[in-house]
Amino acid sequence: MQVLIQLLITGIAMGFIYALVSIEYTLIWNATGLLNFSHDKFILFGAYMFAGSYVLGLGLPPVLAILCTLITMFLFGVLSALIIFNPLSKLSTNLFAVIGTVILGRIITESVRLIWGPLPFTLDNFLRGSITIGSVVVSKSHIVIIIVCSLITIGLQLFFKMTKMGKAMRCVSENKVAASLMGIHVPMNIAFTVGLSAIICATIGILVIPIFNVELQMSSMIGLKGFACGVIGGFGYLPGAILGGILLGIVEIFGSMLIPSVYKDCLSFVLLIIFLLIKPSGILGNKR
Amino acid sequence: MKSKKRVILISIGAILFAMILPLFVSNNYHLNLMIQVIINVIIVVGLNFITGLTGQMNLGTAGIFAMGAYTSSLLATKLGINPWICFIMAIIMGVVIGVGLGYPSLRVSGVYLALTTIGFSEIVRILMTNLTDITGGALGVTGIPVFSIFGHKFQTNKEIYYLYLAIAIFLIYNAYRIVNSKWGRAFLAVKDNPDAVEAGGINIATIKIMAFTLTAIYTTIAGSLYSHYVGFINPSAYNLEYSINYVVMLVIGGIGSVPGNILGAILVTVTPELLRFMENYYWLVFSIITLLFVIFLPNGIISLFKERPKFIKERGK
Repeated sequence: MQVLIQLLITGIAMGFIYALVSIEYTLIWNATGLLNFSHDKFILFGAYMFAGSYVLGLGLPPVLAILCTLITMFLFGVLSALIIFNPLSKLSTNLFAVIGTVILGRIITESVRLIWGPLPFTLDNFLRGSITIGSVVVSKSHIVIIIVCSLITIGLQLFFKMTKMGKAMRCVSENKVAASLMGIHVPMNIAFTVGLSAIICATIGILVIPIFNVELQMSSMIGLKGFACGVIGGFGYLPGAILGGILLGIVEIFGSMLIPSVYKDCLSFVLLIIFLLIKPSGILGNKR
Repeated sequence: MKSKKRVILISIGAILFAMILPLFVSNNYHLNLMIQVIINVIIVVGLNFITGLTGQMNLGTAGIFAMGAYTSSLLATKLGINPWICFIMAIIMGVVIGVGLGYPSLRVSGVYLALTTIGFSEIVRILMTNLTDITGGALGVTGIPVFSIFGHKFQTNKEIYYLYLAIAIFLIYNAYRIVNSKWGRAFLAVKDNPDAVEAGGINIATIKIMAFTLTAIYTTIAGSLYSHYVGFINPSAYNLEYSINYVVMLVIGGIGSVPGNILGAILVTVTPELLRFMENYYWLVFSIITLLFVIFLPNGIISLFKERPKFIKERGK
C-alpha cells in the first residue's frame, strides 16, 4: 500500500512538472500562435543560471538566487520576444518563427556549454533528503514540486482573471486586432507573455535540479513530454495542459511497473499518437 | 521559353561541375564531405515537400533517416539480402512511415506533425539503443555491404560519389518535376490558402499526407545510401539536433525551390567545416549566422537570385 502511495506522489510530482511545461508553452502559443520549440532550452538556461552562476559562482543564499534567476530569465524572455517572436510572427507562415525558435534553442545550448562547461554538476544541499509521514517515505523535492506547482497554477489563474495585465493577455490570445483597438499594445503584451513563460521555465529548471543533474540534456525529455501532455489534455487550453500533465505523470510511473523502464519514455509519445488518432482535441479540448 | 532554356543550361553546368569536381580532389576527407553533401541534398529536397511547400514542420528527419538506414542495413547484414533489394525495402519503409505518421497528425490542422515526428524520432532512438538483440544496441550495425552492379562493387569513395550523384540527379529531377506539377502547386496552395484549396475540391489531408510520404521516401532513401556508404551505423547521432540541421539547410537555401534546397544543403554542410578554425565557438557562430538568415532573409539565398512574386507578405492585409 505505501509503495502505491509513494509511487502516486512521485507520479503526481512529475506530472506537475509536465503540467508546468505545457502551461509555459501554451501561454506563448495562445499569445502568438507559435510553438516555442526552444522552451526546453529556456528550462536548461534557468537551471544553469541558478545553479552555476548565482549559487555556486556568487554564493548567494537560495532565496536570493531564485529571485535573481527569475528576474534575469524574465528579461531574457522579453528580449527573445522582441528579437524573434514579434518580427517572425508577422510573416505569412509560422514556419520561419518555428525555425527561429529552434535555432534560438541551439544558440542557448551552445552558450550554456561555453559559459558553464560541458560537465554535469549538481547542488548538494538543495532540496535533498526525504521525510516520513506515517509509513510513507517521500522525498523533499517531490513535495516542494507539488506545492510550488500548485501555487503557480492557482496564481496564474488569479492573474488571468483578476489583473488588468492578465485580462489584456487573454484578450490578445483571443483576437489581436480587437485587442489593439482596445488600446492594448500587442507587441509589448506578447513580450510580457514570453517573459512570464521564461519565468515559469526557470522555475521548472530550479525544481528539477534535485531530480536530474544540471547537465546539457536535463530538460530535453521533459520538454518533449510537455508537448505530449498538451495534446492529451487539449491543445492551447490551460486546464487541459494541467490535466494532461498530471495524467501523464501518473500513467508513466505506473506504466514503468509493467514495461521495462528504458521504454518508459516511449509511453508519452505512444499516448500522443493514440490521442491524435482517437480524440485529436484532447480530453478537455471541446470545452473551450 | 527563355527561362526554361536557362534552367536547362544551369542544371547542365551544375551537373558537369559535380562530375568534374572529384578529378581535382585527391583528399579522402574532402571526398567524404562531398558524398555527405549529396546525401544531405537528397534529404533537403525531400524535406522541401512537406516543410517547404505545404508548410508543415517536420522535426523527425533523424528518426525517418535512421529507420531507412536500419531497415536497409539490418536486412543486408542479418539476412544477407542484396543491397539494392534492401534499398527498395527502405523505400517501402518510407511509404509506411509517411502514411503511418501522416495519417494521425495531418488529418487535423495544427502543429501536430512537428510533435508526432519529434516523438517518433525519440521512440526510434530509444528502440534502436535498447533492442540490443536486433539492432546491436548502442554499438550499432557494422559490416554493411556496399552496392554493386553486375558484380562490380562500388568500393572507393570516387565510385560511390558517381553512383550517388547519379541517384541524386534522378531524385532531384523528379522533385523538380513534382514541384512544378499540379501536385506541387497543390502543396504550395495548402500552405498559402487552405480554405481556397478545399473550396477547389481538393482534400487537404490527402495532399499533406502525400507530401509527407514523399518526404519520408526521400529521407529513407538517403538513410539507405548513407548506411551502405559508411558501412556502420549507430543510434546515438540521430537526435533532435540532427533533424534541426536539415530544417536549417532548407531555410538557408530557400523554402519551396529545388535549386534553393540544393544550395542550402551544400552551404550548410560545408560552412561549419570552414568555420572550424574558431574551434570551440564555431557552432555558436554558425547558429547565430543561421538565425540572422532566418530573420533577414526568410526566403533564403535563392531569393537573392530571382525576381518572383513574393508569396511571403506581411500578415494582416
